[in-house]
Amino acid sequence: MDKILTKKALAQWGQKLAPRRVYVPRRSEDGRWNYAEASPDDELTLDVGQTAIPPKKLLFPQKEVFVEFGESIDGDKKTLEVKEVLPADESVVIFGVRPCEGRAAWLLDKVFGGEFTDPYYWTRRNQTTLVGLACDPPPSENCFCTSVEGLPHSEDGLDILLTDLGDRYFVRALTEKGKGLLAAAGNLFRDPKPADKKKVKAVHEASAGKLKRHLKDARAISDKLKGLFDSPLWDDESMSCIRCGVCTYLCPSCHCFDINDEVDSVSPLQGKRVRTWDTCQFPDFTMHSSGHNPRPDKASRLRQRLYHKFRYFVDVYDKFQCVGCGRCISLCPVGIDIINVLDKVGSHGS
Amino acid sequence: MDHNVYVPRLAKIVEIKEEVGGARAIKTFRTAFVNGADFQHRCGQCAMLSVFGRGESMISISSSPLVRDYLQFSVLKTGRVTTALHDMEVGDLIGVRGPYGNGFPLDDWKGKNIVFIGGGIGLAPIWSVLQTTLLRRSEYGDLRLIYGARTSKDLVFKRELYELKTQLPVELSIDVAEPEWTEFVGFVPTNVLEKKPSPANAIAVTCGPPIMIKFVIKNLKDIGFADDQIYTTVENKMKCGIGKCGRCNIGFHFVCKDGPVYSWAELKRLPQEY
Repeated sequence: MDKILTKKALAQWGQKLAPRRVYVPRRSEDGRWNYAEASPDDELTLDVGQTAIPPKKLLFPQKEVFVEFGESIDGDKKTLEVKEVLPADESVVIFGVRPCEGRAAWLLDKVFGGEFTDPYYWTRRNQTTLVGLACDPPPSENCFCTSVEGLPHSEDGLDILLTDLGDRYFVRALTEKGKGLLAAAGNLFRDPKPADKKKVKAVHEASAGKLKRHLKDARAISDKLKGLFDSPLWDDESMSCIRCGVCTYLCPSCHCFDINDEVDSVSPLQGKRVRTWDTCQFPDFTMHSSGHNPRPDKASRLRQRLYHKFRYFVDVYDKFQCVGCGRCISLCPVGIDIINVLDKVGSHGS
Repeated sequence: MDHNVYVPRLAKIVEIKEEVGGARAIKTFRTAFVNGADFQHRCGQCAMLSVFGRGESMISISSSPLVRDYLQFSVLKTGRVTTALHDMEVGDLIGVRGPYGNGFPLDDWKGKNIVFIGGGIGLAPIWSVLQTTLLRRSEYGDLRLIYGARTSKDLVFKRELYELKTQLPVELSIDVAEPEWTEFVGFVPTNVLEKKPSPANAIAVTCGPPIMIKFVIKNLKDIGFADDQIYTTVENKMKCGIGKCGRCNIGFHFVCKDGPVYSWAELKRLPQEY
């Protein structure tokens, strides 16, 4: 379903969405953009730079409670209760989601679905509507979505895609959830004219050409990785890594996590089991209790990050587990650049 | 909605047996679900055990699926959770979720001879298969166990092993000689070469420390076992048990979900990173 919304009416649309919680990229104190809850009078400015933290944090928070457990002691009798804690029942709308971030959600859907469904992720995913904004120009100088089978106007994973036509948005509802959001403020939208459709096409066609970074044939690189597991390349490229984990924590499609118990009271026992983000870049991520570590050095951990995204995920899902947002490049404190490393893989032996 | 995969079911510890004492203590726990549970495991599968307040640990189920009264786990005391488990008593409650993993392809082994080769705590995953094949004795060919530990004190299931000798050949070993010891002295892989199990119509199942597995496989191949006649189990650090938390992978395989059981034919094709 295609509609037109004037930019001036966007804020009104946001207001009509109550009681849904509306998130939008906002400027943080440190000057970076960050998806944050909009105020009721928010202007919902969308054409801003790339956020440091992708919207994954709203579908898969950095920390969430799985269960609460508590012991009650009555004389000699001890009982233990374990209570499931699912995310609160609410509706969430995220405005300004970039198409690569929508694609990342679409990849996370695969990881958190399948044979074992992750109820925490899916509760949030099902109650969240992703309103995307087609990129024009790219929000980061390190964007390379077209190299990993994405597009600046990709619709994967999104519920609505907005395209900026100057004084108005071209609004495409992609899912039932998306249509529901339009229905909440039906009178704000008008039907597109042929000229609007023509302009959308032109914007989409032009935007891909504005990307500055490219990978040469990611499929060929993926194939080439098969023979480079034991290459000295990983030692060379990981030398400067300070294992901070930024490349993975801030990656929109990285999903590795830890599960731990937090104790509020020892006797009687009260506490909770929590999930937190974790990363393959930390040494103890894979360390056995015996002290043995299958990935004992920076080289094997950098290799794991790249192989997971460009080899193992391709083996299982036939998709790259990288959406080309470039955050791991822009935000790496020591300048490790995934495009440069993969280019070296691609040109290896040629 | 289906049961939440991350929420453990409560189980009561109904029996604890001390297998090995000292710094590398091993205890065997039998547990029974408090409110029953639809828990049907296959041999070689694992379960995620919870000690609430300490965390979770993935432990292989050493009882046979044909035994329905309890689940059995033999646990080496090493980390935070296993140490807490060792401090627990009969009647205490733990959490259990699972079962996880692929398990041994026992149906494919019908009519075959099976030689079990274990080292130390590695007898635990073997025990489930061994008990099952014994309970269904007529469906399998000759069974044989080659098992060793560092010292006679480090052997698990000691009493059961001596009872087992009345039912199948059990060939024990310890690494270093002891005055009372009358059986083989030396490492398990060496005992395998010494006893030379026949590869004819046979499957070899080996579990134990990685270094032992490595040389057992080498020696089995020297005796004439083919890659697809050799099965082993892999262990890695795990948190979720369902292929999502990302840490137990070997290549594109998650050991928790796609393993822990591999034929050597399968395992040798994966990156050697475990």
